[in-house]
Amino acid sequence: MPGLARGGLAGDTARWRHYTLAPAVAVYLALTALPIANLLVMSVHDIRWEQGVAQWAFAGAKHFAELPRDQLFRDGLANTALFAVCAVSAELVLGFLLALFTSRVVRGRLFYRTAFLLPILIPGIVIGAIWKLAYNPDFGVINQLLGLAGLPGKDWLGEKTLAFASIVVVDIWHWTPFVFLLLLAGLESLPQDVYEAAKIDGASAWQELRYVTAPMMIPTIAVTAVFRLIVSFKVFDEVYLLTGGGPGTATEVVSFTIYRRFFTEDRIGYGSAISVVVLFLLTLVIVLALAALRRRRDAA
Amino acid sequence: MAPGTIRPRARRWTGVGVAAVALALASGAAAAQKVAPINVVINQSPWFGGFSKVVEAYEKETGNKVNLDVNPFAGSAEKQRSSVRAREGQVDLLVMNSTWLAEFYHGGFLVPLNDIDPGFKLDPQVINYDDTAYWDPKTKTNNSRTGVVYGVPINGNIAVLYYRADLYEQAGLKAPTTWEELLANARKLHNPPNVYGIVVRGARSASDISYDWMPYLHSHNGAIFKDEKNGDFTVTLNSPEGKKALDVYLELAKTAGPPNPGSYGQAQVIQALVTGKAAHATPVIAAWSQMDDATKSAVVGKMNVVVLPHGPGGQPAPTLGHFIGAIPKNIPRERQVAALAFLKWFQTYDAQLKYAQAGQPPIRKDVYAADFGKKPEFRWMKAMVDSAPYPRMMYTVPEGAQIVAVLELRLNQAVIGERTSTDALNTAAAEIYEIMRKAGYKTGRLPDLK
Repeated sequence: MPGLARGGLAGDTARWRHYTLAPAVAVYLALTALPIANLLVMSVHDIRWEQGVAQWAFAGAKHFAELPRDQLFRDGLANTALFAVCAVSAELVLGFLLALFTSRVVRGRLFYRTAFLLPILIPGIVIGAIWKLAYNPDFGVINQLLGLAGLPGKDWLGEKTLAFASIVVVDIWHWTPFVFLLLLAGLESLPQDVYEAAKIDGASAWQELRYVTAPMMIPTIAVTAVFRLIVSFKVFDEVYLLTGGGPGTATEVVSFTIYRRFFTEDRIGYGSAISVVVLFLLTLVIVLALAALRRRRDAA
Repeated sequence: MAPGTIRPRARRWTGVGVAAVALALASGAAAAQKVAPINVVINQSPWFGGFSKVVEAYEKETGNKVNLDVNPFAGSAEKQRSSVRAREGQVDLLVMNSTWLAEFYHGGFLVPLNDIDPGFKLDPQVINYDDTAYWDPKTKTNNSRTGVVYGVPINGNIAVLYYRADLYEQAGLKAPTTWEELLANARKLHNPPNVYGIVVRGARSASDISYDWMPYLHSHNGAIFKDEKNGDFTVTLNSPEGKKALDVYLELAKTAGPPNPGSYGQAQVIQALVTGKAAHATPVIAAWSQMDDATKSAVVGKMNVVVLPHGPGGQPAPTLGHFIGAIPKNIPRERQVAALAFLKWFQTYDAQLKYAQAGQPPIRKDVYAADFGKKPEFRWMKAMVDSAPYPRMMYTVPEGAQIVAVLELRLNQAVIGERTSTDALNTAAAEIYEIMRKAGYKTGRLPDLK
């Protein structure tokens, strides 16, 4: 029967789709779902080692209940949120300005593009060394320049009030090129006929930016912002290499807290609990951001 | 066959036979010494340069191969931890700092050295670093009487007082024996920003300020716990002795130190010494090799070291920051044998002489007594001999890393002015008490300091 034949064919196609998806699903399970499941299991256990063998003891929600009393976790979370907002905001503004500048340059565009991208090509460990030397209060280049201008030097990483800002500056220097790259791609893909129409209507450069470029760039800016927020929430290497979270907890960030609790102190269960909470918060940020984007798209 | 032709041939065959036997014997002897290559995980400490020179000598002398996997301090502990917890470890020789020894002993990851070679024993000349090469699994203590040998000391690192001998001579000062004398001398030499009276290791890290302050605590007759060796883990950190110890430390840091003493880790302290910016500091002896190195130091021939000062009624108490070389259970027998071959060689007089000549603290008493120690460039050795009766372990429980994390934060907060000494000690004591209570130790705590 034709109907049955069609149904059979449709069934075969559906099954075939499942079969072809299976390897990807297996890889996903092995690389993503299983480690997260393992993290969840560890977060509700105390794990100790005796005679070379791991001893697991169920701890329920004990580790999660401990989190609000943990000063490193509290300060780390607050600093991370502040860090993400400050760094990403500055990177978006600078990245957008650089992209705008580069998109309007006719000669030497390749040179500018390459020059602006350089910081992102440098490995994290080298960035740590560069900035540790630059910030050195005794012989760092920043204090030397201040000295030439007749200004007193600062202990950029040693003073509580300056250390956090100094870390943010390093992140801006490191990640603005990435933002620049995405926004430049966005700018270059904007339809040119809209600009031609604006020109015919006699729009000034500012009006063109305000009423043409900016609105059309919002989806790209939003996606870039979400991506950078996620990555900046995971900041670790700058803090590890430059301040170790100090002075006090001035530059403590949550990834560094996880590292300390999990690895340095060997508190696998508790470290996993912090990781689970951070994972949840990050997922929440992504879901809210995507929902906002979808609402905006629907409204448009 | 003519007789004349037989005899030379016979001699030739006899010669070949003798050569073959000799070759067989020689190769047999070589085979007895030849062992499998070993992997050693080690940290990039100030003493690493000296250790790597000794390893080169071992490879040259024996033909055996040693692969050194060099890591940052905390990374070294993590790598060793991962290896001993695997089904089969990658690391054959664990170079363990005193701060993570307890975790590895309590975790049961190590093999007694007599299980590899029943005839092995520590050379009597090897210094006993608070029994830390021995472990008694029944009582879970480092005890040379009841335990068995699990390791060989690799580095006898302890803190000593570094001071600018040239500035002392100009100012007519003598080396301090108490913290109060050190404070007076440091204030006298304090001439910022050119020279700071003292640079303390006040940063917060895996182990900076807690290691730096511990000699102050112990030499004021204070301690983290009431009687750790006998199982009484009542927290006594916030005792009046503890407060005196922290107050003198803060006074030194704030009245004779750089503007932000809370940001100086070990590397920055050593840098302040070699650039001539610190008149005093108390880093480990392993940093000495940089002081007289003209390629790194602006104070060649100007530094000296003495045993650490002490508090009123106390005695010097340098904290052990030494390293023990031990062999994990979870590696094949041939690699255990190879790792032990290295340790046997390492504890010999000749090897330790090379180690000392490379500027690193040897682990043998007789090397400290050697003639070359009288040369000016080995003037650091007297401080080590003088310190020998006093070293103390920071802690002996596997929760040590958590305790250190608490101390690092609270002491650093006191140094940067976020907390008073009383508040810092009370808070740290309460947190350490919680750690010990949760881990099931017999514990308690003193009432809060007022």
